[in-house]
Formats: sequence, structure tokens, C-alpha cells
Amino acid sequence: MDVELAEVRDFLAQHPPFDALPEEVLDRLPARCSLRYARRGSVVLHAGGRGDRLWVVRSGAVDITDEGRLVDRVGAGGCFGMSALVEHGPIRYDVTAREDSLFITLPQADFDELARDHPEVAVFFAATHHGRIRTALGQLQQPRTGSAVFRTAVADLLRSAPVSTAPQVTIAEAARRMTEAGVSSILVMEQDRLVGILTDRDLRRRVVAAGTPTDRPVREAMTLDPVTISSQALALEVMLEMTGRNIHHLPVVDAEGQVVGLVTTTDLVRLERSNPVYLVTDLAKARDVDAVVGLAARIPRIVEQLVTEDATAEDVGRVATALTDAVTVRVLELAEAELGPAPAPWAWVALGSAAREELTLRGDQDHAMVLADEADPEDPWWGAVAGRVTDALEACGLERCDGDVMATNPRWRKRVHDWQVQFARWAHEPQPDAVLWAAIFYDMRAVHGDAELVPQLREDVVARGARSDLLLAHLAGQAARMRPPIGFFRGFVLEDAGEHRDTLDIKRGISAIVQLARVHALRAGATALPTGARLAAARARGVLPVESAVDLADAHELMSYLRLQHQVAQVRDGRRPDNHLDPESLSSLDRRHLRDAFQIVRQAQHGLSTRLPQVT
Amino acid sequence: MGRWDDWRARLGLDRSSGVRRRGSLRADLDPPLAQAWERLSAAAPYDPGTPLDEVELLALDLETTGLQPSRHEPLSFGLVPVRAGEVVLAGARHLPVRPRGDVGESATLHGLTDDRLATEPTVAEVLPEVMAAFLTDDGHRRVLLAHFAQVETTFLEDAGVRELGTWLDLQVVDTLEVERRLLGAQHSEMRPGAVRLHACRARHHLPRYRAHSALVDAVACGELFLAQTATLALRRKRALLLSDVLER
Repeated sequence: MDVELAEVRDFLAQHPPFDALPEEVLDRLPARCSLRYARRGSVVLHAGGRGDRLWVVRSGAVDITDEGRLVDRVGAGGCFGMSALVEHGPIRYDVTAREDSLFITLPQADFDELARDHPEVAVFFAATHHGRIRTALGQLQQPRTGSAVFRTAVADLLRSAPVSTAPQVTIAEAARRMTEAGVSSILVMEQDRLVGILTDRDLRRRVVAAGTPTDRPVREAMTLDPVTISSQALALEVMLEMTGRNIHHLPVVDAEGQVVGLVTTTDLVRLERSNPVYLVTDLAKARDVDAVVGLAARIPRIVEQLVTEDATAEDVGRVATALTDAVTVRVLELAEAELGPAPAPWAWVALGSAAREELTLRGDQDHAMVLADEADPEDPWWGAVAGRVTDALEACGLERCDGDVMATNPRWRKRVHDWQVQFARWAHEPQPDAVLWAAIFYDMRAVHGDAELVPQLREDVVARGARSDLLLAHLAGQAARMRPPIGFFRGFVLEDAGEHRDTLDIKRGISAIVQLARVHALRAGATALPTGARLAAARARGVLPVESAVDLADAHELMSYLRLQHQVAQVRDGRRPDNHLDPESLSSLDRRHLRDAFQIVRQAQHGLSTRLPQVT
Repeated sequence: MGRWDDWRARLGLDRSSGVRRRGSLRADLDPPLAQAWERLSAAAPYDPGTPLDEVELLALDLETTGLQPSRHEPLSFGLVPVRAGEVVLAGARHLPVRPRGDVGESATLHGLTDDRLATEPTVAEVLPEVMAAFLTDDGHRRVLLAHFAQVETTFLEDAGVRELGTWLDLQVVDTLEVERRLLGAQHSEMRPGAVRLHACRARHHLPRYRAHSALVDAVACGELFLAQTATLALRRKRALLLSDVLER
């Protein structure tokens, strides 16, 4: 190349996808290009025209519009005109210079050659957003670091105060305490000082096998001055210490040398098997609400760990939901233990994201009660239980629902028959806010109680909703109104009307897909709840084209995943998790993939509005 | 107007400033030079009434040791064709030349040093390529496009007369003059710096270039021309003709 065209070359080299090209390819690129100019306000490309080149904005910016509707805004380094090249079809959109703009253009033949020789270029300009999102998910969901053993501190492994005994207690008494507490070792303490440890192995070797009478004091069978480990140590160090010394129990001491707990090989195994399962077990054993609240405080850490490992947002949502369910169930059990059994068969139901098993770190409470038809809704038991559960969940960090969609509200404690009447009303006389209700209550899942009350109700109301064109139209209108942004422009979020925002409310994009999935599932008469399952059901029943279903599921996963990452980072910084992403904090790759996801949602919304009448 | 002439006079750029007089074509020309001349003189100039979109131009920029052909020499030619609203980089050429004398102080301006130029061809050797760059596929002679074109026209004239014994009148579009036309009445109030290449580019919101070389400036001039004609066409509310921008 003539090095003198370095100005053009260097510019291209700074922007994707050209930045991924090898030097020698970049060097040859400028001589194939030509430069063009457009004054502010002038039309660069007309939809329907012939596309014969790729356009790269060298300076200035253009607006890309579809029948006057803004589709994208592209500034320096951005490309346009590629859909016509990829599809070898007419130009899809009108392109107007928003500012005085200079362009670098590359002829179709050279574009084709680049795309053929460099897959990353082809992927970048892929005609559908589908391939790009799939690639993005693959890249995102890679484990950041190794297994949990490398990152978890010992202090985080400690689960409860260690079982201990005095040295003069008999061996038999110590063994009895171990059995009662269900532990395999007991610390031997003299005042506050650790003097020894007695383990199952000691009992076998030094007592049973050696024929030591069990009425002898513990100090004769224990291991003297056991090895300890600092509470600051990493789980990895615990593991090294244990395997190095062939021991299974390690007392943990704080900086002052005080015993603060005991770690066992089982704790490490639990850690490796990612502890949500064990948290559920621990919750089931919690003796009071305070203990439940204490255990619930571990949920964010578990979510963080799952995100840091390579879990999908779907998996994380399921785990977070299972843990919240476990909290709810335990609190309900404790309430029942105190207030006595329920006066009639009933079920506690989760609504909204909890029902869809899509909880994140930022959850609020949406729940209700489904009572058997023979129940008396006026019985004070229902409200008393609801009040306790709501208070406990709030103490666990789940905010009360703004719209009072909670079981504490007598309106949302209904008998099965009354729920059917309520849903029928929503289906036949949908008022604007009634549609909001319907949307929330169509996501309903039994968490506790007589669960069989719920599936029958759901099947009934879903079948009814599927037949109500009016309700479907209202839900479609709702789904189409939740517009995700168009994309990003110069570090800002670009909205429909062309305005720029400095934060991205990612919940809007996610909610849009949730609503689309809900209405499509309802059209299909499917009772599925999770968004992915709803899209799959709609696809299976021919309500939604395969490609749209897959694209929407991918877009949902991508946005949910980025939201989780954002929330985990906030929790790590000691901030309250929210849904507002700073566009500047996103990598250019994330921005591009998010833009693809937004486009998928917008296309699906457009598809829905052409397929269904809408009530707005 | 007076201020303009002052400025030019100060730069020593009167048309008469030391450019050799045209004589007759030398008989002892090297074949490449002779052929290039034959083709260039046979190519047809454009009718000034031709729509601008159908006219091919050649943006040309020279790096020189100074501004007076009688005392100074070209050091490099940068050229790039412009046609139908496009600067065609495929035709971009950067042709450094070896001066007969020293680069001298001017090296501080353009960064071309004696050592770097020592292995380059002479003006006589690159002139055929420069002349060929003026030819279109359809037998026309490209219009010379430059910013403050007097430098390019006088140095070309001088090189032509020196090497060939004669030269011909090229059609010229000067982006500096086009800019003055766009600025209209305001220009008499203007400082000379206001129509320098980078100031004009900034006015049309064209990006700043970091580097400077004959080719970068030729490309920069070509881009400026695209911007100027876009503005001018908008103002005239019609497609432009060559005569709308032609100097001579």
C-alpha cells in the first residue's frame, strides 16, 4: 500500500470489524475505498435503491429510518448499507445525514471478498442478528476464574457455632453430644481456649480399637493442640492443609486466636457443589424467622458465585427463585406452627418474575393466596399468615410490591371459583389497569400448601384467555408499547424519538420480551411460565416462527445475563442492585450485542402488531 | 480584493513570477515523456457546460522547497482522482522526487529530507506518470483540482517547460476560489488564514488530518471539493455544471 493513505487505514483499524483484520489486509484496504460527503439533512441512501457498497462514517453522523421511524443513529466509525450487501437485495432503509458527514465507502466486490476471507467480518455484518447474539452468549458465559475453592474465604464457609465440650467430660458424653448435633467432631475447650479435638476417627482408633473405657475423660482420647487455620485463609488453603495432613476437620481461629468455627471436608464438598442446595437444607432447619433472615442474607453471594462461574441467566433465575421459595416456605411453616394449621385447603402462590422463576438480585414481592372453594376468605388466619410472610420477606431484602399485589391485600386472597370469575372479568371487560393485573396474575405458581389447587385454575384461565381476542389485543398492545431503546450513539442510549439518555434501563428490554412471551404463550393456550419455556411452547404450537422464538429467547438471555453481571458488580461494591446500566461501562461488543437484542425485540413487537389487532 | 493581491504579492506568486516562457516542443525527448505529451495534448478538455457529475478531476498537491518556481523545486506530487462525488482512492498516487538542489530549510515544513529523497526519481522521470494521471478512459483531460492552485499550476508549467520545452493550459478548479465564492460578500472582511485548507475543511465539518504530505493534502482537497459542491448545489437549487466552479 501507499503508506500515504495511512490516515484512512488507521481510521478503519480503530473500528470494528476492521480492527480484527490482519495488518496486511488493512494495508490494502484504503486503495479499494472511495470517499464521499453529504451535507447535513441530505439523503445518503433511499430505501429500495440498489446497494452497491458498504458505508463507513468517517466523520459526522447519519440517521437510519424506516418510513420515517428512527431505526438507528450511526456516528464516526459506524457502518451502514450492509443489509443490502449481505442480502444482495435492495437497500432497506432511508439514510439521512444528521450532520455534515464524510464517508469511506467500500464496493460490494471488495466487501464480499473481505466477508469471505474473514469470518469475523461476516459475523459482524450477518444479515440476521441471530448468529451474533449466539456468538455473544458463547463469549459471555465463560468462567471468569477457576472453581469456587480459589475464591471463597474460610469465614464464608462457617455455618454455625461449633459443637464443643470440656476436657473432663466423659468420652461417652462427648460421643452423645456429637450424635445429637449430627457432627463428626467436637472441639475440646478449656474456658475459651482450644485444647483438642475429638473426631469419629479418634473414637474408632483411640477408644474402640484400643479398648479405652468410655467413662474416661475426653482429654485421653482427643487429638491434642490440633492444627488450626485463620478465618482469613482461602478455601483453597483449607483444602491444601487437609490433604497435606490427611485430616478432615480444621478449627478456624480469628486474628486474636479465638475459635470462631470449624471447617470440614464436607464444607469443601458443599462449596464445590455450589451451595444453593445446602442453603435450602439449612433453611428447612431454621428454627425461627431471624434464622431464616440470616440465611437469606447468603442468597446474593450464591447468585454472585453462580454468575462468576458460568451459569446462564436462566439457571441463575431458577436458583434465585428456588432459594426465595425455600425462604417463603420456611416462613410459612413457622407461621403455621405458631398459628395452627390452615382452616381450609389453600395454596400460597408466587406471581410475576417469581412465578416465572426469573428472580434476580433486585426482587420485590408479588404473591397471593388461592383458597379452596369451601374456605372462608374472612377467616383471620389468612391475613395473619400473609402479614408474617410479607414482613419476613421484607426483612430478607424483598421489597413490598408498589401496587399492593400481595397476599396481605384481601383482594388477592380468593377462592378458586372467585379467581375464575376474576380472570373471566379481565378477559371480557379489560380496562387498561385490569390488563396490568391480568398480566401479573397470568404468571402464577404454587409455592406452598395444597399445590394441586393451582394447575387446574391455571389451565382453566389460560384456556379462557386464549379465546378472548379482546384480552389478547390488550396484552399485545401492552407488549408493543414497552419499546426498548434503538441502540447506542456516542456513549448514550438512543431512544425512539432520537433523544439520548445516559443510562440504559435494561428492565424495559427484558420486560418487553417477557410480555411478548406471555401473549404468545396465551395465544398458544400454553400454561408454561418461564419466558424461555413460553417461547418454546409458542413455537411448538406454531404461534411463533422458529427463528423469532429462538432469537427472542437468546435476546432475553443476553439482557438478563448483562443485568445480572451489573447487579452482582453493584452488590460487590456494597451498592443496592438496580436495572440501570451505564452505557459507558459496557464494552463496545456488549453494546453491539445489546443493540442486536433491542432490534430483535422491536422486530417481534412489529410482528405482533401486524398479526394481532391492538388496543392501546 | 486589494488585500488578496497583497497577500499573493507577499508570497511572490504573481503569475509572471519567474515562470519560464513556453517555447516549442523539444525534439530530443525521451520516449516516455514524448508519448505522455502526445496523449495529454490529444485529450479533450471538458466543455464548461458539462454537468459536474460527468467531469473527472485530478486533485493535485505539491510539496516544494518554496513558493517560487524560479528558485524552488517540487519534492513530491500527491494526486487522487475525483469523479461523480467521489474521491477515488484506487487512483491515489504519491510520487516523491529528487530535487537538483538541497531541500534546505523547507524540510522543517514537509519532513522530506535530502537523504530520504536521494534515491527517488527526478521530476523528468515522474512527469510522464503525472501527465498520465490527467487522462480519463473516455479521452478527456482531467480538470486540475487544487487548493490555492497557483502553486500547482506554476510549478507544473515550469516543470513542463523545463523538461518538454512547452506546456499546455489545463482546466483548473481552485477550492480556495470556490470557498471565496461560497463565502460571498463576507470574504473582503476576512483574514487570509480563513481560507487556508484546514480552515475551509473545518468550516465544512471535515475531520482534521494529523499527518501532512502531498497525498494527504490532495485527498483533503478532494474531500473539501465534495463538501463545497454539495453546499453550492444546495444554494443554487440545481445540479452543478463545470462552469460553476471552473477557474479557466
